[in-house]
Amino acid sequence: MKRYLPMLVALGGMVGLTIWMTNIGQVGFFPLAAPSKLLREVMRHLQIVVYAAALAIGVGLPLGFVLTRRAFRFVSPILVGLTNMGQTLPTLAFIGIFAVVLGLGLQAAVIALAVYALLPIVRNTYAGIRSVDPATKEAARGMGMSTAQIVWKVELPLAMPVIMAGIRTSTVLNVGTAAVAGMIGAGGLGEIIMSGLAMRVTEMVLQGAAPTAGLAIALDAVLGTAEQWLTPRGMKPATEMVFRG
Amino acid sequence: MIKLEDVTKIYPDGTKAVDDVTLEIEKGEFCVLLGPSGCGKTTSLKMINRLISLSQGKIYVDGRDVYQMDVNQLRRSMGYAIQEIGLFPHMTVEQNVTTVPRLLGWSKARCRERTAELLDLVGLSPPETFMRRFPNELSGGQKQRVGVARCLGADPPILLMDEPFGAIDPITRERLQDEFLRIQDEIRKTIAFVTHDIHEAVKMGDTIALMRDGILVQHAPPAEMLAHPKDSFVEDFVGSDRALKALQLMRVRDVMDETPPKVRIDESLETARGRMQELGVNFLAVVNEDERFEGWVNRRVLRRSGEQVKDVMMRYTVTGRRDTPVNEALSLMLGSAIGNLGVVDRRDKLIGVVTFRSLSEAIQASYSEDEDPDEAHAERETAA
Repeated sequence: MKRYLPMLVALGGMVGLTIWMTNIGQVGFFPLAAPSKLLREVMRHLQIVVYAAALAIGVGLPLGFVLTRRAFRFVSPILVGLTNMGQTLPTLAFIGIFAVVLGLGLQAAVIALAVYALLPIVRNTYAGIRSVDPATKEAARGMGMSTAQIVWKVELPLAMPVIMAGIRTSTVLNVGTAAVAGMIGAGGLGEIIMSGLAMRVTEMVLQGAAPTAGLAIALDAVLGTAEQWLTPRGMKPATEMVFRG
Repeated sequence: MIKLEDVTKIYPDGTKAVDDVTLEIEKGEFCVLLGPSGCGKTTSLKMINRLISLSQGKIYVDGRDVYQMDVNQLRRSMGYAIQEIGLFPHMTVEQNVTTVPRLLGWSKARCRERTAELLDLVGLSPPETFMRRFPNELSGGQKQRVGVARCLGADPPILLMDEPFGAIDPITRERLQDEFLRIQDEIRKTIAFVTHDIHEAVKMGDTIALMRDGILVQHAPPAEMLAHPKDSFVEDFVGSDRALKALQLMRVRDVMDETPPKVRIDESLETARGRMQELGVNFLAVVNEDERFEGWVNRRVLRRSGEQVKDVMMRYTVTGRRDTPVNEALSLMLGSAIGNLGVVDRRDKLIGVVTFRSLSEAIQASYSEDEDPDEAHAERETAA
């Protein structure tokens, strides 16, 4: 429980700040976001992040896995280079490019974020599976496990903590990045922040920023718990953070 | 049981790792594949369970060509243990040990029973405690034991072991070797065992297959290899102290004097001196009323003042057993003041004495029993 205390304090602070700001209701001529509007944008924000994460996992996990197979190993430097390059692009530019190609709206935002989340997932899946002790795999093979059995019973369970760390990192990062998606008309808390900035109403900026932070904190805790849960007992959590943003 | 016929392995880059090896391992035989690193011993082993493919030749297990069998079935039918152990860190000891049984679809109850049995066999008791542990909760020696238990999992008739005791400290290794020999006495598996350690080979193997540069140089029981190395490579490899190494193949019972000169603990010094004179020896073993071994007297201590033997005797309780290897006995003798070793039975009753003289006589005798070494050497040369 002690582990969760700082998280709960921070989360409580963010929720409190949001409620406080929303209760102000109006600053000068400018009405702040109504509770219902705020809730809608929180859900929208979450939707963008979750869709992007699902897409990134769906593509990144198999991709990372395939790269570890002998036949595809030659592609891996190319792909890692490519994903690295993707990550060096500024988020804003990235989302802008996707908006130009796919048009404004939810679709462009989700795809842009998914591509952005791909790197940590591909790289951690690749690293996690490659880091499985060759002796363990040899023992498995020597005892007569089929290739599929080695993948499902040995490689994936052993790589799981590292894979989960990648998913967690990219997903939590994307909560922040998704705020930018407001700029291309995808909605979410970014829209509230942007309106606040445009009208120079600090309270409104906070109204969008505080729940964004809260969302990131909560999601990090949820995924952290899932990571713990998926880490087989008997494996030290030393592999927790192979890649951190 | 296992037959390699003209087996050759050539890697794509042209290296000949194994060159035309023909080797037969009988049922119940403990065959040690020995040689310097890069000699092809591990490659040969891994070709048996098809972890490495053959380039030429045939390998038969129980008369069946291994390439006519399903590869996973083949592997499940033989135990496999490696130096790095390769335990599954995410599985409990029980899950590790029952890897193959579970692949074969054994019931849960049967798996549990088998685990308990195996952990007991490899000396991890109580099994209930160890079953639920994870590999990272075990010491190096314990992991190695689990590795051995795992390779015995489904009770395969054949074990393939690649330096299974290679990565542990010498003391634990020694103990595991002893225990494994005891286990092998019980279970009588057909074993192919890779090592580069000549001591281990001599100690463990019924036969040693010595390899160099992919070629099988000599396949013979250890005693024969030590007594009659086939060529200068074998001679170099077994070392110039091969006569000493051969001692570990002899047991105390082969070299002890079964009617040692002795004196009872409550007899007088006079009697002891008299007996020594009479037998023409310069020591006597001291026993008590129950024939238990107590120590020694020699001429020097008998000059001390006292009435009974027990007043002056050297209490020396280091003893050997009938089945103590002679090299250990020799070491104990060299370390003792008296230079002899009392041999006792289970109840500490004196049953014999090893002296330097009885030792050298026994060794001489064992040489003369053999054929003349030089002649035998020449014969083998022509045969080859």
